[in-house]
Amino acid sequence: MVPFFFIQIVMLVLAWKLDAKQMGFFTLPEWLKGFSEILCDSVEKVQGKLEYLRSILNDPVQFKSIYRYAFDFARDKDQRSMDIDTAKAMLTLLLGRQWVLYSCFHQFLEQSKYRVINKDQWCNILEFSRTILPDLSNYDVDGAWPVILDEFVDWLKTRQQLHIEVAQM
Amino acid sequence: MSLNNNFLQTLNQAWNDHQTSMVMIRDILMYMDRVYVQQNNVDNVYNLGLMIFRDQVLHHGQIKDHLQQTLLDMVMCERKGEVVDRGAVKNACQMLMVLGIDSRTVYEEDFERPFLHQSAEFFRLESQKFLGENSASVYIKKVEARINEEAERAAHYLDKSTVNPIIGVVEKELICKHMKTIVEMENSGVIHMLKNHKTEDLACMYKLLKRVDGGLEAMSQCVSSYLREQGKALVTESEDVDTKNPINYVQNLLDLKDRFDHFLHESFGDDMKFKQVISSDFEYFLNLNLKSPEYLSLFIDDKLKKGVKGLTEQEVELVLDKTMVLFRFLQEKDVFERYYKQHLAKRLLLNKSVSDDSEKNMISKLKTECGCQFTSKLEGMFKDMTVSNTTMEEFKNHIQAMGSNLSGVDLYVRVLTTGFWPTQASSPKCTIPTTPRQAFEIFKRFYLAKHSGRQLTLQPQLGSADLNATFFGSKKEDGATSTLNKTSSGPRKHIIQVSTYQMCILMLFNQRDKLSYEEIQTETDIGEKDLIRMLQSLALGKLTQRILVKEPKCKEIEPTHIFSVNDQFTSKLHRVKIQAVVAKGESDPERKETRCKVDEDRKHEIEAAIVRIMKARKRMQHNVLVTEVTQQLKSRFLPSPVIIKKRIEGLIEREYLARTPEDRKVYTYVA
Repeated sequence: MVPFFFIQIVMLVLAWKLDAKQMGFFTLPEWLKGFSEILCDSVEKVQGKLEYLRSILNDPVQFKSIYRYAFDFARDKDQRSMDIDTAKAMLTLLLGRQWVLYSCFHQFLEQSKYRVINKDQWCNILEFSRTILPDLSNYDVDGAWPVILDEFVDWLKTRQQLHIEVAQM
Repeated sequence: MSLNNNFLQTLNQAWNDHQTSMVMIRDILMYMDRVYVQQNNVDNVYNLGLMIFRDQVLHHGQIKDHLQQTLLDMVMCERKGEVVDRGAVKNACQMLMVLGIDSRTVYEEDFERPFLHQSAEFFRLESQKFLGENSASVYIKKVEARINEEAERAAHYLDKSTVNPIIGVVEKELICKHMKTIVEMENSGVIHMLKNHKTEDLACMYKLLKRVDGGLEAMSQCVSSYLREQGKALVTESEDVDTKNPINYVQNLLDLKDRFDHFLHESFGDDMKFKQVISSDFEYFLNLNLKSPEYLSLFIDDKLKKGVKGLTEQEVELVLDKTMVLFRFLQEKDVFERYYKQHLAKRLLLNKSVSDDSEKNMISKLKTECGCQFTSKLEGMFKDMTVSNTTMEEFKNHIQAMGSNLSGVDLYVRVLTTGFWPTQASSPKCTIPTTPRQAFEIFKRFYLAKHSGRQLTLQPQLGSADLNATFFGSKKEDGATSTLNKTSSGPRKHIIQVSTYQMCILMLFNQRDKLSYEEIQTETDIGEKDLIRMLQSLALGKLTQRILVKEPKCKEIEPTHIFSVNDQFTSKLHRVKIQAVVAKGESDPERKETRCKVDEDRKHEIEAAIVRIMKARKRMQHNVLVTEVTQQLKSRFLPSPVIIKKRIEGLIEREYLARTPEDRKVYTYVA
């Protein structure tokens, strides 16, 4: 299910604030509680709050919370894991602009055999994007990263090596 | 030469005179020695005399150098084989020792140091000469001889304290500096010796190299690389070596082990380091070939089957013990277990074991190696066999009481407990002919009445049958006459021993003379692969085995080919056993399937180990956990860290484990 709902990431932040459980829907209690918290009781007030909501993303702690929330929110409630297409879309939304390696990771996912992303992988992707340098120099093999990220690093290193070889030709 | 001798004699004479005089002087001045000298802490008379002699005589200009040169020249002459005045040298050395008063410095400086230096030079040159001219074993003997000679010289007429230093010099120049050369010498070094069984030469080299640091290391490395090469050749699939025959494969490895055990004992004196090296080499190449576990099991299978040719019970026992040594080197013991179970099941069910005792003996050997977990299921298999015997006794009584005779079927049923025996994915189908089927139904009712709640499923692929067969045709005329078989045209009766599948096929011919492959398949419902195999052994084997004939007479079997009873069938034996067409060992697709099952089992074993460890320790860092798991499983197989990591991830997903919030590298157990 492609989250066409989130044309802008601010909608995700809003959902998070409302603590909405299901993507695409707001229940009445969620609606009431959430909007009370951000002190909005009219459309104009909500529009006014959008900048504020967007700014929440800049706080790393809150961002992490929103990111984790996004997994449960966007996955199919029958499954424990999120299907790969939803994952790609959500990751583009959340990490597309701030993680240098995101487009590589996206390509990696496209050519990989993975059909789902589980919660542990999801959380570790954020950690990875925050701690590992773009040249992978501080990536440690013993770092207990999920196998999908080990594979991403191998894939990326091979590609980088090929680029170097091509460049030297 | 004589001048030198005179010089030495003159010096010795002077020294003797001095000593005599000093003794006298000391006696005269004894009071002063005891009182004045003690009180004023000065040198006593005798020592004073020594010092004067030393400084005024010995170290007087040319005397010192002359003495040194004389002594060195004399040693050199003796080394070259000339005879010298040993007594004179001995005296001179003693003098030098005494003149050091409370130390050996005078001896050391005036004689020993230059002596050792000259010796080193001498041996350096000699080593090159020796090496150039001789083979390794001859060189070694020469070195031994030199060492003995130098030791004896030092002991006899130099000072005894020089023995060790001079030996050290010899060892350094003749051995240390040339270790590699000796070990690796073309056509005479270690490899040559190993190839040509030169046990004694190896023992000499071992003894020699043991003297120096790193000597044995150089030798063991050479032995190791040769052994690895030989072992690798035995296990690698190639045209020269027969790696398809499991019996030969294992026998070759056992022979190789015997060879090296012999070297270990006779040449290397059971040296622990060599033993370790040999063991690790065997472990290395045995596991290069993934079929080793299967082949080892087949080898043991061969030795436990009836009709093991030409071996006494003790010899079999010995071979099995040696096989266990190889077993210890296996890294994939769980694969071995799987195959051993399969092969044991076949032996038990087809009644091929030589004896129950030898089987149990083998199992207790495995138990000692691997613990009960390995063998408990195997023991269960034996129990089933015993219980089945009892059940059959009761069934016989039951039948008698019933007054039935099962329509002439002499039925024997073995009931196998599912958990103990190798599993089939699903029981293969097979349409059993009426008479045996009805007999089995009677048994089934009897059994289930005794054990309600159980389920019995017939396993046609494991059974066998003895059939009474009558052949009505006339014998083929034979050119050569045989006294055993008389030409007769009457019907010939035989008992044929076949598998259950074959029984189903053959009994069809009671109703019909001719049947096509397709018809047989429809009537019996046997799977294609097995059906073809059964028909091959019935119709395309040796003439003495050919119960059926096929039209057309080619090797392939097509659906339209017609089978009929071979009325011309003859055999010298009344009871004819039809050999199944079966290859030793699995086919490649079967092997792949076994490998899949092994991998599945391993997944579970790894997860069980992870859960067990985490449950006990509650918190653990990733690397530590991986190490612990590997350690726990190492007696079964070697899991790779990546596979363990995947299993950890699986357990995180299923919420058995979690990462701690503060450190993602640390896991906790989720109760």
